[in-house]
Amino acid sequence: MNEYNVDQPIYALATAWAPSALAVVRTSGTGSVELLSRIFSSPGRLMNAASKTLVHGYLRAEDGSNIDEVVLAVYRQGSGYTGEEAVEISCHGSLTTLKRVFVRLEEAGFRLANKGEFTFRAFMHGRMDLTQAEAVEEIISSRSVKSQEQALDRLSGRLSARLNEIRNRLVGILASLEVQLDYAEDEILEEWVYPVSEVDSIISSLQLLSSTYAAGKIWRDGAKVVLAGAANAGKSSLFNFLVREDRSIVSPIEGTTRDYIETDIDLKGIPVRLFDTAGLRESGDLIEAEGIRRTQALIDEADLIILLADSADPVIPSSLADDKRLILVHSKSDLAPAEGHGISVSSVTGEGIEDLVDEIARRLGALSGEKDQSLVIDSERQHDYLEACISCLEASREASGQSVDIIALFFQAALENLGYITGEVTNEELLDRLFSDFCLGK
Amino acid sequence: MRDYDCIVIGGGHAGIEAASAAAREGFSTLMITQSLDAIGRLSCNPAIGGLAKGNLVREIDAMGGVMGHLIDQSMIQFRILNRRRGPAVQAPRAQADKFTYSRNAKELLEHTPRLSLFMDTVTDLIVEDGAVCGVVTQRGWKISSRTVALTTGTFMNGRIFIGEWDAPCGRLGEEAAFGLGDSLRRLGFDVGRLKTGTPARVRRSSLDFDELEIQPGDEEMLPFSFDYDCVDRPQLDCYVTWTNEETHRIIRENISRSPLYGGKIVGKGPRYCPSIEDKVVRFPDRERHQIFVEPEGVSTEEMYLNGLSSSLPEEVQHEFIRTLPGLRHCEIMRPAYAVEYDYLNPLDLYPSLESKRLRHLFIAGQTNGTSGYEEAAAQGLVAGINAALSMRGEEALILKRSEAYTGVLIDDLVTKGTKEPYRMFTSRAEYRLSLRHDNADIRLTRLAYEKGSAGKEKLERLEEKMRMMSDLKESLRAYRERGKNGLQLLKEPETSIEDLAVRIPRLSAFSVPVQREVALDIKYEGYLARQEAEAESLVKKEAMKIPQDFDYDSLKGLSSESREKLKQVRPVTIAQAQRISGLRVSDIALLMMGVRHWRGKGDQHK
Repeated sequence: MNEYNVDQPIYALATAWAPSALAVVRTSGTGSVELLSRIFSSPGRLMNAASKTLVHGYLRAEDGSNIDEVVLAVYRQGSGYTGEEAVEISCHGSLTTLKRVFVRLEEAGFRLANKGEFTFRAFMHGRMDLTQAEAVEEIISSRSVKSQEQALDRLSGRLSARLNEIRNRLVGILASLEVQLDYAEDEILEEWVYPVSEVDSIISSLQLLSSTYAAGKIWRDGAKVVLAGAANAGKSSLFNFLVREDRSIVSPIEGTTRDYIETDIDLKGIPVRLFDTAGLRESGDLIEAEGIRRTQALIDEADLIILLADSADPVIPSSLADDKRLILVHSKSDLAPAEGHGISVSSVTGEGIEDLVDEIARRLGALSGEKDQSLVIDSERQHDYLEACISCLEASREASGQSVDIIALFFQAALENLGYITGEVTNEELLDRLFSDFCLGK
Repeated sequence: MRDYDCIVIGGGHAGIEAASAAAREGFSTLMITQSLDAIGRLSCNPAIGGLAKGNLVREIDAMGGVMGHLIDQSMIQFRILNRRRGPAVQAPRAQADKFTYSRNAKELLEHTPRLSLFMDTVTDLIVEDGAVCGVVTQRGWKISSRTVALTTGTFMNGRIFIGEWDAPCGRLGEEAAFGLGDSLRRLGFDVGRLKTGTPARVRRSSLDFDELEIQPGDEEMLPFSFDYDCVDRPQLDCYVTWTNEETHRIIRENISRSPLYGGKIVGKGPRYCPSIEDKVVRFPDRERHQIFVEPEGVSTEEMYLNGLSSSLPEEVQHEFIRTLPGLRHCEIMRPAYAVEYDYLNPLDLYPSLESKRLRHLFIAGQTNGTSGYEEAAAQGLVAGINAALSMRGEEALILKRSEAYTGVLIDDLVTKGTKEPYRMFTSRAEYRLSLRHDNADIRLTRLAYEKGSAGKEKLERLEEKMRMMSDLKESLRAYRERGKNGLQLLKEPETSIEDLAVRIPRLSAFSVPVQREVALDIKYEGYLARQEAEAESLVKKEAMKIPQDFDYDSLKGLSSESREKLKQVRPVTIAQAQRISGLRVSDIALLMMGVRHWRGKGDQHK
């Protein structure tokens, strides 16, 4: 968890984390306008915008493509809610869009705000009275924030044991470096040798953990769930039923072609991009063939494929027969009772929908292939810190020819990132390790 | 009218710096010491400097302190440590002639204007209205002063141990100081016990030199002080030998006779400098331990057995020491011993080293739970400067962690306290790549000049050096090769400044130290940038002061543990609060809001 402070550029979603037509993302902090101008289609207009004015344009991705059409409300220092230079971004409210906006803001140099941090800043800048401030105190000291800080509390026993084991191994490497820097070459006679196999093994342990982060891709892009099946299998009915299951009203968006429609829904907290596709039947018709080709492309990229089959006629295309992403659904169970395996669903009575939603959520949660759910990384931040830790270690490998004072920097950075998940590694802990691992002292 | 502006209690390394700093700042100062003959003694190893410690010495010098001069005039061997392990973490170390060092220290104090020296033992402090205003001595003197610096080292209730034998001493043969420790306890100070030790000294002419490896000094001798460019003194060799199975067997068989293992010593000893019995017990698989045999001076036969400190009985020491090659026939002149002494919890200090319990009392050195001459001297200097600044009514000198090892040292002490004798390590410094020994003057001299501790000449030398450095960078920038300028070439790992000096004739106009320093600045530029950005973000929180009358009980939402920690440390800034171990991010946020509100209330009252 980051420190609360009163200057770093921060961002947070001001509206609810749910699909909606529009959403507002707030930013605040010194340099917010300048940082945003780097990822905005009209940087000049934004930089010159007066306080409390609106600027229309596009948020741009790294490659220059548009992420979303947005309206930016600019607040110069002293005029906004926090009293700091700030920009409010009104953008479209699909979860996928929001996720992309967040990633882009992080890339631009904003960090996600801590709980209550906007209000904290407003108070620190004298824009709030004591009564209001007391409410913030409650937020900041609330149970949830505390447990968030003690990140290990949130991890399962086995996962935290595994992370701690990796942390200890890294502390061991860093201690072996530090001892070289804290004791002279006549006291520590051994030259430090880059522990290639130990680092490789730590990296692969970290990668294994990181890969369990099933929701990683899902949070960024939404899980792709594709409804497939024969033309009259009941895909559209199921599509509509699942959209209703989300309860937040979203009208389906037309796909780029008429061959499929897609929509963002939220299934048990997992953002899902649901696709209704054209039929899978072979066809001599060129136009339909193109549709089928696109459907096939969707299926190739899908995280889950829900294959609808008429209960009476469960034909599974051979290409999907052994596909682990497949969920077989007997549709129209109200017409004919289901037989064999698969989930029976009726889009008319709603029977079986609960089971299907549960199954989708379970399967998305288990995408990692890690069978033991207690060893799955479930938070995006944790995943990001793991990845950052891995890249520090990889960078250390490339720097292995440098002097030990430089190499130590990479391991310090690696441990700093891991420390966000497992708890900080203090200088004292390092020295403890150093004294217990090495016989020192003239 | 007080008798003196400042009284310094103790004539060790902290006392020397504190007394000379206060006098240099223009205040009449009195140093009271138990023995005028023991000023500036190197009680343990005959060396100054080392990793991180060498940096401290150069910082002391950069701020106008005297330790750099004292070692430059007494060194008998010089080395730059860790040449191979990275230019940014190298440090100088010198073997000292103990007797020359100590004699020079006394002479230097005697020649310091406004500084008086007096031999007596302070037994009590005179206190009025929560402020110290003088001292009482053993022989009944009551001497008044505006400030007092307490630098008593291991002497307060010191007790030394050799096996079953023990005696009330600060050093072997020197009486401990009694009375003051009890007075401080009575005044409510948090007094604890720590332990340290020193090895035996053996006679040079009794050693078998053909069995010892020679450890020579560097060919190039460099001064610790920034005031001149070279030292030229004759060098002596040190020697290396090893313990063996027989040594370890003797130690193991007698381990129960050690007061450390018998439970007579309660104070905690330093893990980084364990006794030989500790090493043998804790690392049973080690077949041998390295021992350095170091001369204590030119005109003495005493040799120091570095690595062999012990508190075993003397006859056991005689037995195991004589199992080492080269020492088989040695004559032991002084035994190894352990010493246990009172220290004062440094959490009771402000970062200025002024006591929170007694105003105008500054405490420095081993009394604060540190170990080492350099750590003591660095604190002594800061205590002396801050006593002076407080008398002038000016803001205290508080060095940042990103600015100096001295800053790391004092911040650690007053924020985290210590449970064992505290020694400086490079790994304690978050910004060690910037805290190099060669740039201590750039980091500190101007500041020390502004605070009145460093003189005009020092500042002028610094300005001249910085001019040279910038001229050198200019020359490098002007040079071109393979489409790169000299600065870019120097960034390549395989290109050294020495390589470039061959290709760019103009570089010969610059001294070697200037060349090296510029090279390091350039080579480490990229790595330093991130550290600087981090340090920058801390600066803002260093500027957020916490009023000393702030009521921590008024803060809602703190855990009781965090509240107790804050009440004990009473941090001066938000940045310091943030460094208290165990405090949460949310606690700091609440504290920031509390302080903001507190100030807001204060404004309304005005």
